[in-house]
Amino acid sequence: MKSIVVLSGKGGVGKSSISASLAVALSKDKKIVCADCDVDASNLSLLFGLTEKEYAQWVPLSTNQVAIIDKEKCTSCGKCVDSCYFNALKFKDGVPVVSKFGCEGCGVCELVCPAKAITLEDINNANIGHAKTKYGFSVASAQLAPGNSGSGKVVAEVKKKAEEIEPSADILLVDSAAGIGCPVIASVTGANYAIIVTEPTPSGFSDLKKALAIINHFRVKKGLIINKFDLNQEYTDKISSFAKDNDIKIIKKIPFDKDFVYAMTKMIPLIEYNTLYEDLFQDIKKTVLEELGN
Amino acid sequence: MVEIIAITGGKGGTGKSTVATALAYQLSKTSKVLLVDADVDCPNDHLLLSIKRDELKKVYQRIPKIDASSCIMCGKCGKVCKSKALISLKDKLPIFIPEQCNGCGACKIVCPTNAITWEDKEIGTIYIGTRNHLDLLSGDLKTNQPVSEFIVNHLNEEIEKKKEKYDFIIIDTAAGTHCPVIAAFELANKVIAVTEPTPLGTHDLEIILKLLQTIQLNGRIIVNRSDVGNIELVKNLAAKFATQIIFEIPYSKEIVNSYAKGNPIHIPHILDVLQQ
Repeated sequence: MKSIVVLSGKGGVGKSSISASLAVALSKDKKIVCADCDVDASNLSLLFGLTEKEYAQWVPLSTNQVAIIDKEKCTSCGKCVDSCYFNALKFKDGVPVVSKFGCEGCGVCELVCPAKAITLEDINNANIGHAKTKYGFSVASAQLAPGNSGSGKVVAEVKKKAEEIEPSADILLVDSAAGIGCPVIASVTGANYAIIVTEPTPSGFSDLKKALAIINHFRVKKGLIINKFDLNQEYTDKISSFAKDNDIKIIKKIPFDKDFVYAMTKMIPLIEYNTLYEDLFQDIKKTVLEELGN
Repeated sequence: MVEIIAITGGKGGTGKSTVATALAYQLSKTSKVLLVDADVDCPNDHLLLSIKRDELKKVYQRIPKIDASSCIMCGKCGKVCKSKALISLKDKLPIFIPEQCNGCGACKIVCPTNAITWEDKEIGTIYIGTRNHLDLLSGDLKTNQPVSEFIVNHLNEEIEKKKEKYDFIIIDTAAGTHCPVIAAFELANKVIAVTEPTPLGTHDLEIILKLLQTIQLNGRIIVNRSDVGNIELVKNLAAKFATQIIFEIPYSKEIVNSYAKGNPIHIPHILDVLQQ
């Protein structure tokens, strides 16, 4: 199984819309499976028309631990509070209290507690599930409990789940989160090919460079899609020459079209919503498969 | 008393930075305003406002340094390292992967020979800048450092130091709902979620409203591109969470153009959001 990751740095440039239509195009001659790795705000399945109820089951997942203090044993010595690098322990009414959102589960407090009053317990920080789209392939998704940490580890679990449900798939398509933080790093890890989606704005260009730095760190082969390219020809030219100088293949330039939003509102992939996009995504597919060496 | 407003949204690209910069810029004409770009993975507010940023300080995180001559290769450090940054091998010095390390300090505590001391790794930079009367504080995460929230915490420290000087502080958060977003809410007394009237926008808005409920902050809603999609979706959600849509921004080619050019974005009547 070869894996393709779609990322952008900047949010809202069309990552998931492009992933969804590319998935449909790919599925016509390859066996594929998708992993929605934007576990903070998972949207890919919505673009296939899948809502939560189409998922057979959501399984609780635990990729993190939190410190639990036994108040009976605690002597309020303050060593845990002093040694927590994340300031997740604070005194409240004379006793240390753990902040659920701040705790990284590192276990330092447990190590320093002289009264053995602290233990680490697994927390259910996400739910994971999978569903079959009406286009014949499956999607694995997870939803991180709002505010919980450990999104990088949840991303790794979603990719694993996708491989488990379709072990004979030719291609795993990974739709990553915005940004370049831990969930994105986890999405790029192990990918065979990366598609960076950008838009011709100062922000799009700046974030493209940041996404590229992650991809280069992992030495993943990559290509670029410039979405809404006709909104700002000056920046499209800037990005194109940047791509040329840095030896990045431009897979496609896609014009601005409100149909992206209308298709999204109807929860249909663009390629199905407007048949004019059939050729465009077939082209993208062809290039990506060639680049992937398939 | 300074009012600290966080602008968030869940989904990427809904217009968080558009609203934050437009609001801050307009406000700065009559009040003392600090705009804080807490989307440290991909900070863009300086680009939207064409502000040249100057470095205020580098941000460092502690990482362990192992003294090879004192290490007895007991393997205890690798055993307690939950982030798998230290890997102990039999009869060999532990392998250290700096990118994985969050600086928790468990390894140093368990080392029986005090072979571990601290050194610093650079994880990002904090910048400042100004345009007319608007001050900008901007955090920037270094590539391949999965510690976005640490940079946000440093931004919070700077806000604490400076807040007395301002009437308003506008914090522009990252997309999503995980650690760096929550860290950006820490000092806020008001949170505004910018969404778009699509199933995706509302799906992600619901997650952020749930989060705000958990941390007992009241979230108000701005609907961007309010005429492209179905605003009923957002209205239903606002009702469900007993909150309100305080502002609607119709789709505008001018906003798209200003955004693309790095001109301050003008949203008519944007200051109305402060009345709600």
